[in-house]
Amino acid sequence: MLDRNTAAQVLERAVASGGDFAEIFLEDKRSQGLTLRSGRLESVRTNRSHGAGIRVFDGTRAIYVYTNDTGRDGLLRCAEQAAAAVAGGAGCKPVGFSPWSAARLEEIRLLPTDVKAARKAEKLRAADAAARAVSPEIVQVNCNYMDSVQDVLICNTEGVFAADTRVRSRLTVSAVASDGHENQTGSDNPGASMGFELFDERVDPEKSGRKAAEIARTMLHAENCPAGVFPVVIDGGFGGVIFHEACGHSLEATSVAYGLSEFSGKLGQQIAAPCVSAVDDGTIPGEWGSLHIDDEGMPTTRLVLIENGILTNYMIDKLGGRRMNMAPTGSGRRESYAWAPTSRMRNTYICAGHDDEAEMIATMGTGLYAKTMGGGSVNPATGEFNFAVMEGYWVEDGKIVRPVRGASLIGKGGEVLRRIDRVGRTMTMAQGMCGSASGSIPTNVGQPMIRVSSLTVGGK
Amino acid sequence: MMDAYIAKLLEAAKAAGIETAEVCFAESESFSAEAMEGRIDSYEVSATRALGIRGTVGGKMGYALTEAFDETAIDMMVNAVKESAALAEGDEQDEIFGGDAAYPELAVPENDIDRVSAEEKLALVLEMEKAAKAVDSRIEKSQGAYIATGRGSVQIVNSLGLNLKRETPLGGMVSAGVYLVGREGDSAVTGGKSKAGRKVCDLDPRQIGEEAAEETLAKLGGSPVSPGVYRAVIRRDAMRSLLATFCGVFSAENAQQKLSLLSGREGEKIASDCVTLMDDPLLPDGFASMPFDAEGSACFTKAVIDGGVLTTLLHSRKTAKKQGVATTGNASRAGVGGPVHVAPTNLFFKPGEHDLATLLSDMDDGLLITELGGLHAGANAVSGDFSLIAKGFLVVNGTCARPVEQITVAGNFYQLLKEIKAVGSDLEFLGGGIGSPSVDVGSLSVSGAGKK
Repeated sequence: MLDRNTAAQVLERAVASGGDFAEIFLEDKRSQGLTLRSGRLESVRTNRSHGAGIRVFDGTRAIYVYTNDTGRDGLLRCAEQAAAAVAGGAGCKPVGFSPWSAARLEEIRLLPTDVKAARKAEKLRAADAAARAVSPEIVQVNCNYMDSVQDVLICNTEGVFAADTRVRSRLTVSAVASDGHENQTGSDNPGASMGFELFDERVDPEKSGRKAAEIARTMLHAENCPAGVFPVVIDGGFGGVIFHEACGHSLEATSVAYGLSEFSGKLGQQIAAPCVSAVDDGTIPGEWGSLHIDDEGMPTTRLVLIENGILTNYMIDKLGGRRMNMAPTGSGRRESYAWAPTSRMRNTYICAGHDDEAEMIATMGTGLYAKTMGGGSVNPATGEFNFAVMEGYWVEDGKIVRPVRGASLIGKGGEVLRRIDRVGRTMTMAQGMCGSASGSIPTNVGQPMIRVSSLTVGGK
Repeated sequence: MMDAYIAKLLEAAKAAGIETAEVCFAESESFSAEAMEGRIDSYEVSATRALGIRGTVGGKMGYALTEAFDETAIDMMVNAVKESAALAEGDEQDEIFGGDAAYPELAVPENDIDRVSAEEKLALVLEMEKAAKAVDSRIEKSQGAYIATGRGSVQIVNSLGLNLKRETPLGGMVSAGVYLVGREGDSAVTGGKSKAGRKVCDLDPRQIGEEAAEETLAKLGGSPVSPGVYRAVIRRDAMRSLLATFCGVFSAENAQQKLSLLSGREGEKIASDCVTLMDDPLLPDGFASMPFDAEGSACFTKAVIDGGVLTTLLHSRKTAKKQGVATTGNASRAGVGGPVHVAPTNLFFKPGEHDLATLLSDMDDGLLITELGGLHAGANAVSGDFSLIAKGFLVVNGTCARPVEQITVAGNFYQLLKEIKAVGSDLEFLGGGIGSPSVDVGSLSVSGAGKK
């Protein structure tokens, strides 16, 4: 993608005015997307994204310049623009490159770029048919397939010259149930860092279609969720979004380094109930949020964030590491060359515990069982989070009595972590796209079933 | 150079048996800088280009996009369009358009993006942050102050002879803002203010900083209210985000796909008398103003809701043909590649006569909602239901009595339109195409941990 001599010249030019670190991130990504709506293949889209970003540090100040013009002249021009923003810094002497490739393409059995779009379309048809078969009330099904093969080259003045190829595939199914007056929706969105073998090994399109349709149908016949403060049981899989929002974002250097997180300065302290341990792991083979190297060229890691309620690690990128005077953790990520990297989550989950799932509901009294979650968001400075419940059930005297719709959960991160009083035995993960300072990136969330002793439930 | 490349691509498409083809080419440039606690912390410059092509084979549409402009990309695109078209089962109505006879002429707002140096832009950011922090010692720290400038263009060229180009946004734009953390005792809050316009010299850093501080300080000491049904006014910025979330319900494409409950309801009363919703691509100085849409149709001004009556849904040529009506010039694409969808241009509730203070005094007791969060998850554009984290003020006897936080408000957008009691006069766009004045929405269901 880029020869070593040119790379060296570009980096030298980038630090010529006193920058003390420079990096080139070069990307070439081929992706394909298919959309099936109303049972018809609406579009097949083939994309080639291509560009480079050059980053220069001047102490803890970061300059980022990006372009699609990745020829020698284009890159040198970017390097000059970046250097122009630095005047008289500490400077640095670039270290000779140690080239290596982190790619493990042997793990990919069917590269998406080698698979005909017609085969991809079959998976969408299978999901669509299964969703429609659930009920005549399913009036619309929207199925998307997307894959990407992203080649990256990351080199910097510290000698990194790392190449990688990231392969991802995903199916999303969203179903609408309607009685003519009201609409309700359900969705299922499985994916992995895999090629087309995804459908042999992990994802059954029919199962996804049925799941999305069943949620939509159940919610069409659900009553509104009562509003108030109640105990809440949150199921595994996408339920892990509660940890992602309530805690994960607040453990990223992006907010911790500036003292803007409620967990700043709390390493070694009890921040969660003792039954809570949590991990951010970029190394799990094939998982949606896994990486061989992060977007700063560093091998990814498994990081224990919380152990028995005690805060053990933050997620740190290179710049965050400079600001915090701590080592980076292989957590530097970005959507594409058009974003400077920052600290982000990978596969983040609450670890399996020892509690019985049935007992959790049986002893909760009156409250909400959130079976499938929607997305959420958080303000790391105050810890205030919110998220939506896609499929919820009302529990009275420890018994599930009816489905409820329109519920949302709000609270403050630190409080909810301390109020977790049950952690189930089986951890499962689900896939999401996480949007933050360096764009939208694939991440896994996960947890076993957990119980929070009290949460504010929004509803009507 | 790009004109030659586009011509070559269209030639190659024709030679490969693609019957009609259209290229959409976009260029953009941006600059941004951020300050944190008195020093410039990050600085970003970009120049990007992207080219999308769509083309028909046997009347079916195929799509491809590239950001690399070499021979390989031409082959890749031509082959991808053919593969894609061969599989497509989309509508017969989807076709490339030769253009309208005339297009509206829009005045291009003047900007000063290049005239103002980077140093001056950085100085503005630092001054804005300093002004904010100087307001009150309870402003604990800055979450960052920024300035961003951007401009670009989009060009549509097709095999039927159409060749149109416009700026995006027309006249370019500049925005600046500052975000703060306020603290008093146990209460920590965040708040900020941003402004958008065409000229750096029109932005008053001191004023933005002071408004950011005031917005933040006003939230200190907030607490929930107890669950119940409350009368509510939604402030212009929060109402704008709610409208942006639900604007898809006015899309004919969504209606035809059964994703909007407004399907077939043109001519019906869907909102209260005081509601008029405009889609105005010709709005002077509008951030989404444009002479032509993504299909090359001429744009024009229309009311979507007029005095509570749904006058039209928003159409592209494709959706209009399906319904036997004329396009409303609302064809749109996210980026340059992929199918054409439908989107509003400058979409806003036509302002009424009363300012926010009057809306509150008419309400007497209730809630003023100033922030709605989690819209991407807690609002369902298909059902219209929303259940959202909110902030605001408890209003007693028409004035704000205390800040409110950690509550949710729930309702349904379709129902809300019918129950609007008054639309305020304080229309604001906040640097985008969608705008709203403050609105008295009648009542909302509220949840929170407050005591009765």
